[in-house]
Amino acid sequence: MATVTLDKVNKLYENGFHAVRDLDLEIADGEFLVLVGPSGCGKTTALRMVAGLEDISTGVMKIGDRVVNTLSPKDRDIAMVFQSYALYPHMTVGDNIAYGLKIRKMDKAEIARRVQKAAEMLELGPMLDRKPKQLSGGQRQRVAMGRAIVREPQVFLMDEPLSNLDAKLRVQMRAEIAQVQHDLNVTTLYVTHDQIEAMTMGDRVAVIKGGILQQVGPPQFLYDNPANIFVAGFIGSPPMNLGMGTVITLGDGLGLKFGKATLALHPAVVEDHPALKNWVNRDIAVGVRSEDMEDANLVRGGAPENSTVEATVSLTEALGSEIVVHFDLDVPKVVTEDTKALAHESGADDTGLHTDATRFVASFAPRSRVRIGDSIRVVVDTERLHFFDPATGIAVRD
Amino acid sequence: MSEASITAADLEYTPHSKDGAPHVVRLGSAKGSWFKQVGWRHIVGIFALLFALFPIVFVVSAAFNPIGTLSSSTIIPRNASFENFTKLFETTSFWTWFKNSIVIAVISSVASLFISACAAFAFSRYRFKGRRTGMLFILLVQMFPQFLAIVAIYLMFVQISELYPAIGFNTSWSLILLFMGGALGVNTWLMKGFFDTIPKDLDESAKVDGATHSQIFFGIILPLVAPILAITGLLAFIGTMSEFIISSIFLTQDDAKTAAVGLYGLIASPLNRNTQFGIFSAGAVIVAIPTVALFQFLQRYIVGGMTAGAVKG
Repeated sequence: MATVTLDKVNKLYENGFHAVRDLDLEIADGEFLVLVGPSGCGKTTALRMVAGLEDISTGVMKIGDRVVNTLSPKDRDIAMVFQSYALYPHMTVGDNIAYGLKIRKMDKAEIARRVQKAAEMLELGPMLDRKPKQLSGGQRQRVAMGRAIVREPQVFLMDEPLSNLDAKLRVQMRAEIAQVQHDLNVTTLYVTHDQIEAMTMGDRVAVIKGGILQQVGPPQFLYDNPANIFVAGFIGSPPMNLGMGTVITLGDGLGLKFGKATLALHPAVVEDHPALKNWVNRDIAVGVRSEDMEDANLVRGGAPENSTVEATVSLTEALGSEIVVHFDLDVPKVVTEDTKALAHESGADDTGLHTDATRFVASFAPRSRVRIGDSIRVVVDTERLHFFDPATGIAVRD
Repeated sequence: MSEASITAADLEYTPHSKDGAPHVVRLGSAKGSWFKQVGWRHIVGIFALLFALFPIVFVVSAAFNPIGTLSSSTIIPRNASFENFTKLFETTSFWTWFKNSIVIAVISSVASLFISACAAFAFSRYRFKGRRTGMLFILLVQMFPQFLAIVAIYLMFVQISELYPAIGFNTSWSLILLFMGGALGVNTWLMKGFFDTIPKDLDESAKVDGATHSQIFFGIILPLVAPILAITGLLAFIGTMSEFIISSIFLTQDDAKTAAVGLYGLIASPLNRNTQFGIFSAGAVIVAIPTVALFQFLQRYIVGGMTAGAVKG
């Protein structure tokens, strides 16, 4: 087992493309770190640099105490699972799993023992004599895992290993990989573009955009305390709702002018975000998670004063456990580089679906009886609002 | 038709033909249209087969026809015998020629196959200075037929023969050297195209597993490109087995000749051409055997699809 340390690592291609910029990352011994970001953000390049498949332009890469910048992949004591699985089609499953050990001229009995152990762990026992093309997608994925496991490496590197599976299998394999990693306690760097995988699997999540690390932290911390608008929009599904508001003084404390509505900010929020005092009478980007809004009719004893916004329902999606309600608010949109990047990532920028209004999505309790076209009052949990500088996109906090 | 006008009879029985026979939907080909669907293909196939077999039947029958003249040969020879073969073996150095042909064809095709595979691997997998130029260059060289260079090659080998007679004129090695480079360009391009279809992930996966370049080349890539190796190897073998122009210039001594040159010598003179054709045919039939055998042997490799299952598919 070992730590992996990236110190100001850069990747600059010959054509001038700067894929990874000053990446600082430290993966603790036995930790499962997920590198997440939109496609083309440099996360796979970063992983391939750790693997040694890509040269490091500048910076220092360490595995354990060894600087591995110039070591070839085979000397780094790592194992990698590829997105395409990269199984050798002319070898049986057993030979595929054993290949890395045979290359290292390991003792035959030891190879057999390790292959057997890995096969048991991944339930591949009956399939050892088959060729990869006779396997289903999930089985191939497990063979690829098996190939990494038998090596008993210091570090696992996984490059979107689940993206070729169908949705149901993906959920199952997600749990399986997390379980295997937990049992073996091997330091793991896992690359994905799927924020759900990032949230569910990682001990910590690192969000990357345009080759630049945005934020690293435990999944829940990232969800609750996004460092900027990009992380706020990327982590969580549905993404955080964003709209422009103005900070005002309201009574003794602070308030928020949010379209026609006025929201009183909870004293705890003001205490938590001391920098908000500098934003009085200035426009600020406000973020609200969908679960922090509720149908006002469901609030016992009525909604508190200055905590609701009014809107007309455009769409409802009943999921059983909740009702997802879409509505437009009369607040200006937040437009920054981050929101553009997020729109591009989700493909919303070229679907022609975008309107001038600011679309909010709220999750109501299933007791709510709202219908499309209803005028509703929505209670906002002002204790759990997020604030961002509309110019830089950085969270307003201290 | 409105709903009201549909009667029970309409639903039960719908005559489609004039004589009132029920319309029967057959699964597969209907009896009457068997010829339309399948039969005509057999006719075309048989015709093509006859067309292709005719020269072979002709040469085989000439080989077994003891009278030995072209004008007297018939498709099915009267008094078929091995007389032509006996004459061929007794009066000429046929087995020496045959051996020369096999040696040259096997060594040069295997060697050129290996060199082109190495070159194709490099062109397909590595990015280096001069890669594009190199590939264009070998393509350019290949644009000109080999015998355009005969004069230059001849002059070169005049010198070589003087300095190193062991690889000069009238040796198998001279031709082996020449043929090794002959089809290199085409083969490299053909193979490079095939190598490109093998996902690069496989190389990288093997690399992470600890394989060296040569282990990747021999252990991972070569088994997967077997179809293209079979095809280019076969083409190179056939090409050198039947090569005539250069061989006839290089090989003038009887015991150095290849089968193609030697057999041609039998019918070169207009005086005895007609009478020697039986012997010539006997030799031609024997020379065809290795090629046909190789074809049969390599047939299963020529089927592609080896990479199915490597990645998601």
